[in-house]
Order: sequence, then C-alpha cells, then structure tokens
Amino acid sequence: MENQRTVADGLRLAVRALVYAVLGGAALLAIATVVSVLGPMLALDLYTPPVAAWWTVFTAVAVQGVPFLLLGTVVSAAIGAFVPEKVFTRLLPRNQALAVPVAGAAGVVLPGCECASVPVAGSLMRRGVAPAAALAFLLSAPAINPVVLVATSIAFPGQPKMVLGRLVASLATAVVMGWLWARFGREEWLRLPKRETTHSGRGLRAFGAGLQHDFLHAGGFLVLGAAAAATFNITVPRSVLDLFTDSAWLSVLLLAVLAVVLCVCSEADAFVAASLSGFSPTARLAFMVVGPMVDLKLIALQTGTFGRAFAVRFSSVTWVVAVVSSVLVGWWLL
Amino acid sequence: MRRYGSSLLLVLVGAAVLRISLFSELYLRYVQAGLRPYLVVSGAVLVLLGVAMAVVRRTTHDEHEAGHEAGHDDDGADDEDGHHHHGHGGGGPRIAWLLTLPALALLLFPPPALGSYSAEREAARTAAQGVGTFPALPAGNPVALTLAEFSSRAIYDSGRSLKGRTVRMTGFVTHGDDGAWYVTRLLVTCCAADASTSKVEVRGDADGAPPVDTWVTVTGTWHPKGKLGTDAAWPAVLDVSSVKRVKQPADPYEQR
Repeated sequence: MENQRTVADGLRLAVRALVYAVLGGAALLAIATVVSVLGPMLALDLYTPPVAAWWTVFTAVAVQGVPFLLLGTVVSAAIGAFVPEKVFTRLLPRNQALAVPVAGAAGVVLPGCECASVPVAGSLMRRGVAPAAALAFLLSAPAINPVVLVATSIAFPGQPKMVLGRLVASLATAVVMGWLWARFGREEWLRLPKRETTHSGRGLRAFGAGLQHDFLHAGGFLVLGAAAAATFNITVPRSVLDLFTDSAWLSVLLLAVLAVVLCVCSEADAFVAASLSGFSPTARLAFMVVGPMVDLKLIALQTGTFGRAFAVRFSSVTWVVAVVSSVLVGWWLL
Repeated sequence: MRRYGSSLLLVLVGAAVLRISLFSELYLRYVQAGLRPYLVVSGAVLVLLGVAMAVVRRTTHDEHEAGHEAGHDDDGADDEDGHHHHGHGGGGPRIAWLLTLPALALLLFPPPALGSYSAEREAARTAAQGVGTFPALPAGNPVALTLAEFSSRAIYDSGRSLKGRTVRMTGFVTHGDDGAWYVTRLLVTCCAADASTSKVEVRGDADGAPPVDTWVTVTGTWHPKGKLGTDAAWPAVLDVSSVKRVKQPADPYEQR
C-alpha cells in the first residue's frame, strides 16, 4: 500500500515536472525568439557606447559581488542555524564599551569585501550580539582583513605607512562608531527583518532556508547598488578630479565623496587610490577608509538588512567619522 | 510560481554565473581572471541550493496538506508575519527580482567589454610611482610587454631599460585630437568598475591610423620624450615598425 502510493506519487511528480519543463521551455523559447528578432532593431538605436558601458559596469559590479555575497550569507546562515545563542554573549565581554573594540579587531577574520560583512553583522545581532559590537565588526571587517591589507601594500610599494595608516584609521572609525551607537543609538532605528520561520530551529533545513532568503534579499539590494554605481561611473567625468587637486581640504572631501559613489570593492580600492596620483596621501587614505564603510552599494545593502532609518543615519555619521579619522591619522603618520 | 519563485531565481542567477565562468570566458569582460574558481563554485552552489530548496518546499508542502490541523495554525501565523514585516510571502523577497536584470543580460546578451568610450572618458593620469630603476627585461627581441609596463618603464625608469629594445604590445585603437593615435588598453584590478587606462602613442606608421576600437598588435621601439617622471613624458611614444590587426583577446583587459 505504502509502496504503491510512493510510486504513484513519484510518477505524478515526474509528469508534473515534465509539464512544467515543457511549458517553461516553450515560454522561454517564445520570449527568446521575440527578443532576438525585435531586440537588435531596438537595440541598434538605444545601444550607444555609454549605454553599453553602463551595462558592462553594472553587470561587472553585480558579478563581482556574487561570490562575496554568497560567502557572507553562508557564514551568516551558518551562524543562524548551527551556532547556539549563548556562544557570542559568552565570547564577548559583557561591558559594551569593551565588547566594541574586541568585535572591531575580530573583523580581521572575515576575508572578503564589504558585501560579505553586512549579512554577517545582521545574523550576529539576531544571535544576541550587542548591536554596537556587531556594527563595529561590520565596519572593520572589509577594511582590515589580511587580503585587503596585502592588496594595499602591493598598491603602495615601499610605503608601509600607508598600510598602517589604513589599518589604524579604519579600526579607529569602526570602534568610534560602535561607541557612538552604544551611547546614542536607538533600538527603533534598527529593523532587523525576522527570517521566514516556517521551519524555524536549527539544522540543515534552516541553514538552506536562511541562505536562500539572505542571498536573494541582499542580492536584490546589491543589484540596486550596482545600478547606482554604474550610473555615477558613466555620468561623472573623471576630469572633474583634476579641478580639485590643488586644495588639500577639498581634495580630502572630494575623494571621500568619490569613494561613496564609485563603490570600488575594498580589495581593489587601494589600486584605484594609488592611481589618483595628483592627490595628497591623506586624501588617498580617506578614499581607502571611507570606501569599505560607506558607498552606494553598501547603503543599499544596509537598507535591506537594517532598514532605511538606520542606513541613512549610520552611513552619514560613519562618513564624517571616517573622514575625521583619516585626516588625523594622515596628519600623524603620512 | 509564487511557491517556487525563490528557487527559480537562485537557479537563474547560478546559471548566469556558470554561463560566463564555466562554459565560456566571458567573465573576463567583467572581473579579473583570479575570480573564476569562486564564480564557478558560487554558480554551482546557487543552482544546487535552488533545486534543493524546491524539493524541500515540495515535500514539506505535501506534509502540511497531509497533517491538516497542525499545519494550518503554523501557516497562518507565518504568512501574516511575512506580509506585515517585510512584504514578501513564499515567492521570496520582492526586491530579489531585480537579480533577473543582470542574470538575463548575462544569459541572453552579455554586455561587451569596455572599450574606447571608457578609455577616452578617463582623465590623463598615470600610476603613482617615483623615478627609479626597474628589473631587467627578459632577453630576446621583440619582447612582449603590457602597455602599462611599457608606459611606466618609459616614464619612470632611470635605468632606461627600453633603450635599444624592440617591443610588442596589443591593445585597441583610440584617436587623439591632433591626428595622433594610440594603442590603448584598460587595466582592471577587481572588476570593470575600477578600470583605468594605459595608452601609448604610435608614430611612424605608413598606412595611417586604423579605425577606433580596432584591436592591433604593434611592434616597434621606444621613442624617448620629455624629462623622466614629468607630465611631458606622458604618454609614452612608440616608433612603430609593424601594425597588425588582431582579434580581441580573450582577456580584453590588462591585469595588475
């Protein structure tokens, strides 16, 4: 009896899958045919060099973000599904003022760029880590991990002070932001989305569900950020930069704004900074400190994970703190 | 559709990533070569996850249908929770549908590599570097160099290692304002968003400038110009002996 049922079920499933495949395939074929016939006619008019360049940069930012985003969501889903609630509260000092620098320094262990750290910070909060500590981790992880520091030392050969400056300024910004949040932050700004808890609990199934949800959610915002980055990349002429290289103060602010709109991945931004040769070392340091902490792609990702009220406040304050911190460190070291 | 939307999206994104990384070398138009293994793994993981979650969803749905009472309560509460707090039900987060844009673009019309348009938008800037000596060039003539390497040796090498050497370089053609033309190549560190330009002026060709965006391999010798390390030395100049049209290389960019 049981056996018969499973066989019948299996057959039904196979037939249904076949029907879906045929219907879906036919629909896809139809769409592909229409698009490939009509597409070129339309495209010839619309596909000007700037539009083509926009698509290339847009897909490039998205493609480049996928592996890192997946790494981040795998870690965050694993934290959600396999790590018991108590672990982090035990590992971190009870005192928030102490927990913030510890969490900031722990950023060293996540070897990825900024796309990876947002979902991880989100899942840390869900697992009971104080938001201030999780935020310090969020800011420091993409800036001070070994991959990024090595890339920086390759981009600035013979200038170890640039690497040190980046480490110090980034860590300082992360810790200061953590403390600021501990002192002034309000819970109601943070909107941690509750996961779909159809199969709440732990284990492989929860891991899969968490991974699927987190990746799709963050991926959508990554695409949004990529579109914004590509738009600025194509519309803002680089020659604007040459107008501001003379004034030391303006150039720091300009490169700090540029870091926000260009959304260069934190593993590559040192090379971009190195190529901005007309600017003072402090301005280039600001570019590298701001980039991994505040950019359009990150603002989009943070909006998705923590809510807009949070992303707007947090990003703007972080930008100011990062600029101040890099100016101070630059004045001291460079 | 609502039930399998999430799985479908994951498979779509995974397939797009695999198409450009595993089944072709198109990924080189967008990101640097070292990212390939990560792209292949991510694509495979996404496809597998999508399929696995579809299967899980299907089996649990059947379970729920079988066990009426227990199932109902759960479902109701969850649906409400989903709609109130983040505006999505079984189909997954709504914002996720944006992922179809790059995924379909990659599957149907992979965008072209950046070319002369992007190169010409870039302001004239050179890699930050002091004047100094460079390691010796490999023996033999002509020696194959990247445009970036040639430029930095031409502009910053106090040892003048290019002197008396024949070099060969590949890039696409761009035109200057005053009838000058350049062999140009974009240099990508991580992804196409961080592209920067290297260009070398070509002098002494018999046939005149090829059309913009033609890919060429040029052979010739360095034409010293300007004082080392100054703006006057930029861009580097090549006295060309042969210009050969070639196909666009698999990797359209120079790597750092």
